[in-house]
Amino acid sequence: MSDFAPAGDPVIPDYGQASDCVINNGAFCTDWFISQWSTVFWPPVLSHIVMVAIAVSIGFVIAFFAGLLAYRKKWLAGPIGMAATFLYTLPPLALFQLLVPFTGLSLLTVEIALVCFTLVIIFQAVLVGLSGVPDDVRRAATGMGLDRNQLLLKVELPLALPSIISGVRIATVLTVSIATIAAFVIDDGLGSPIIKAVSSPFNTQFVGAGALAVLLAFALDGLLVLLGRGLTPWTKVRN
Amino acid sequence: MTQHSTGTSITFDRATKTYPGAAAPALDALDLEVEAGELVCLVGPSGGGKTTALQLVNRLVDLTSGDIRIGDRSISDQSAIELRRTIGYAIQQSGLFPHYTVAHNIATVPTILGWDKERIRTRTAELLELVGLSPVETWLSRYPAQLSGGQQQRVGIARALAADPPVMLMDEPFGALDPITRVAVQDEFLAIHRAVGKTTLFVTHDIDEAIKMADRIAILKPGGKLAQFGTPSEVLSNPADDFVAEFLGSERGLKRLALTTVGEIVPGRSDRASAETAQWPDVEATMTLREALSVVSAARAEGAIVHKGGNRLGEVSLHDLIAPPVAVEDREGVRT
Repeated sequence: MSDFAPAGDPVIPDYGQASDCVINNGAFCTDWFISQWSTVFWPPVLSHIVMVAIAVSIGFVIAFFAGLLAYRKKWLAGPIGMAATFLYTLPPLALFQLLVPFTGLSLLTVEIALVCFTLVIIFQAVLVGLSGVPDDVRRAATGMGLDRNQLLLKVELPLALPSIISGVRIATVLTVSIATIAAFVIDDGLGSPIIKAVSSPFNTQFVGAGALAVLLAFALDGLLVLLGRGLTPWTKVRN
Repeated sequence: MTQHSTGTSITFDRATKTYPGAAAPALDALDLEVEAGELVCLVGPSGGGKTTALQLVNRLVDLTSGDIRIGDRSISDQSAIELRRTIGYAIQQSGLFPHYTVAHNIATVPTILGWDKERIRTRTAELLELVGLSPVETWLSRYPAQLSGGQQQRVGIARALAADPPVMLMDEPFGALDPITRVAVQDEFLAIHRAVGKTTLFVTHDIDEAIKMADRIAILKPGGKLAQFGTPSEVLSNPADDFVAEFLGSERGLKRLALTTVGEIVPGRSDRASAETAQWPDVEATMTLREALSVVSAARAEGAIVHKGGNRLGEVSLHDLIAPPVAVEDREGVRT
């Protein structure tokens, strides 16, 4: 498009050998994105996925059992819900700051914070799902002689699945987003190329990494939708 | 074929339930003996304790005092879980598990009891045939959401019968069905009941349903007291008190006519002049007197001609319909 070199200090990587788009710091340079994919983008995508998977898995286990507990012991639902909501309201950066003196600039710090943000969503989803089991179904099951564990495993949990899965979906999308901030603590995940591109404003890296975070959120959400469909075949039947 | 167990009696012995915080009992010293193989309807207005009485039997509700025995064994002699697995239970809206297929729903109790796969499959197919859902293969893998209300209720009944329990509890099982489906499912259930002979306790708020279904009717009044216990014919001809009379309604004389079919009262060939009967409408022998009366009234005639299949059985006059001979009122198999 343009054939004159820009004045001033070179701030663009590979200055001198790069395309016009890169030299002019265009909004998104496909050639650079492709050539740098394996070094600048793919490793953060992988570490981002790992970070999110760990956080959502641990968060799920904690929130799932907390939800079961609150369902069995109704008086616990209030206090557990409040504690989880409190954790959810903390600003992520402040929580990192708070944890660093104890757990250092480590993956552990990041995961503790990320787990905290998933809890209230999954907890509520489990509780709502279990409480939403129709009374006549529960009464029929009990009347037929299912004991408490059979009622939970054969009837209540399966029927709570749609709600639980939608909770996990929201928690996952949220964690993909919050995990980009983890780059303030560790040089990992898609936040890392974004922060670096912000400090030396190079658009392609910034836009590319940001778009990958969005795509990753969509992709994981889509996988969970498919998982949900597989686990709850009765929800898509029609007359 | 699975051997059907014969029914077992259910005895309420001063069974009383007072819910926590309630001043008066929901069920007050109920004495009731349901004989083996009998179908007893518990009827009454809301607050009469009929559902409480039913749920006491499978211990969904615990007795405050008194006892209930199935056969000669008290329900408190075994764990509630074990007890419930020996009692068929069907409720309004069917209570089917929406995430289970029809086959899976029916197999619930047999699976818990540890039946082998082949036995469960045979039993499931047999039950679907019994409740009129055939060919069996079309229904096995459907989910409840894919069935109509009547079909769901049929599966609910099959599920309750699955482990061949000697006793069935049914809590307004047909309450949510439209009138036409309801009549069809009632007829099917009566046929099933005659075929398998389960002792059945059946809660309904619909007196007409009770009159149609029951060998004997137990009418409960507010406060959980038994107002009357007797055959439909006894209850309709001799209401024990004003409450029962009012509960049966001003049409109880007509309801009584619904207990007898035209075929039961039709005399042999009569020597009526054909000129007299020429304008009389035709009725089927399976119609109740009440239905036949309606047909006769609509035709403004003095009687009706009774047919069975294509054959003419005879004639019944208006007088025959409204004052049937006493002897036929007590239906076969009913204790008096």
